[in-house]
Amino acid sequence: MSVLEIRNVISGYDELQILWGVDMGIEEGQLTALVGSNGAGKTTLLRTIVGQLKPWQGQIIFQGQDVSTLPPYTKAEMGLIMVPEGRQLFTDMSVMENLEMGATPRRARAGASQRLEMIFELFPRLKERLSQKSGTMSGGEQQMLAVARGIMSDPVVLMIDELSLGLAPVLTLDLFQALRKLRREGITILLVEQNVRMALKVSDYAYVLAKGKVEMNGLSHEIEQDEAVRTTYLGI
Amino acid sequence: MVNVLLASLIDGLLIGFVYGIAAMGLSLIFGVMDVVNLAHGPIIALGMFGVYLLFSLLGLNPFIALILVAVMGLLFGLVMYMTAVHRVIDAPPLSSLLATFAVNMMIIGIGTSLFTTSSYNVEYSLGTVTAGPINVTGTRLAASLIALLVTAALYWFLYYTRTGKYIRAVANNRSSAELMGIPSTRILALSFGIGTMLAAIAGGLIATIFPINILAGGSYELKSFVIVVMGGLGNPLGALIGGLILGLMEGVVPVFMKTTWVPVLEFMLFIIILLVRPQGILGAKE
Repeated sequence: MSVLEIRNVISGYDELQILWGVDMGIEEGQLTALVGSNGAGKTTLLRTIVGQLKPWQGQIIFQGQDVSTLPPYTKAEMGLIMVPEGRQLFTDMSVMENLEMGATPRRARAGASQRLEMIFELFPRLKERLSQKSGTMSGGEQQMLAVARGIMSDPVVLMIDELSLGLAPVLTLDLFQALRKLRREGITILLVEQNVRMALKVSDYAYVLAKGKVEMNGLSHEIEQDEAVRTTYLGI
Repeated sequence: MVNVLLASLIDGLLIGFVYGIAAMGLSLIFGVMDVVNLAHGPIIALGMFGVYLLFSLLGLNPFIALILVAVMGLLFGLVMYMTAVHRVIDAPPLSSLLATFAVNMMIIGIGTSLFTTSSYNVEYSLGTVTAGPINVTGTRLAASLIALLVTAALYWFLYYTRTGKYIRAVANNRSSAELMGIPSTRILALSFGIGTMLAAIAGGLIATIFPINILAGGSYELKSFVIVVMGGLGNPLGALIGGLILGLMEGVVPVFMKTTWVPVLEFMLFIIILLVRPQGILGAKE
């Protein structure tokens, strides 16, 4: 059974409908990619899953429980964690304080020090900057911190919105390396990524979203070979 | 002359600490939720009357009464947030101005009918402390020490406790804080309560120094605005410095000219700072 299941979700902003019935299943321990062009509804879907938007219809089932209408902080307590687009760090607070805030959920308190060690291994650069104000770091370092803060929450499912947006290619590679390691640690990840090629390379399973609906889904290496995907998203 | 000046300087600085915590209350609420609490002055007045009533009716030591007043100030803020402020927290600023102004009018109205607008005194003395040429009344010294203690406690709370860090996180990025599992509504209510608690404490301390009346909070609210803008909006340390500057002016200016000039000069300074350094002396929150 999927750890996270999206059933026929319809959602949007105020009067504007963005999602037109999305069905998805996220399997435990897998890295699932969610790709699609701008405006396809990827961010809207993540925001609906995490509770920043209420679904107009349909259900979000997390670990067998209907969590459709729960607020984000309750879902975070349960282990449904999102690294938002644009990082959204606590820019006035130090790197260490950002990580501490990540460890807010009760379930995340016990193993916080082990997770901190894991983060320092993953992103040694953060260790050197613990007392620095997070807002003064470079974009790449900020993205590392955003992911690290998500890991500190001890996620059951970690959703990352636009891992590489606006980052230099070298940093993008670093972050994808880190993602592979997290996947090996057994963390379930749902990745929204505008770099379709990278997303399909690193993931196990993929969903292609178009016009607010799932257009295609399957194993990532199969999706990668699909003619339509190659012309539309990979430019081949 | 030098002695008079020195004495006024010290008197001014001491009261400046008290102004500082009044301003911190206003500043904290604005910094965390972008709400300007127009009931700030009346809550200061409630703090004054709280100490006055506990002292004159129950015979409590004013500085012990202050603890009760602080607790009541906190509770008042929690209730006020949940009833009047939370529903307009995401509305345009005018809504929260009107909501807090409504609370302001209610406190003033009820307070006036209970106490009229006459002046009351907390008849309590701690004698005079003398150091060389300087004489300071004991209550003024005690009030400033308590204000300093409250400032230190607030700083410690915001920077070294988990709940305090939650407040800073919510102030910095509310939706992100929710994504980490921080229940933002509870944190906002608590921040508002701490803001009104600081106002009530400031009022209680002022009551041990000056005569009070139910409208007296208004002038301290005005001072708080000046201090907060001088020190930088949403910056508690700036509020302390702003408070000291204002206290200093209040102490020193009357040595040279009539006391009525004090507000004129205060607001001149206020306008100059707005023109030259609108972000405040220490800079506003980002």
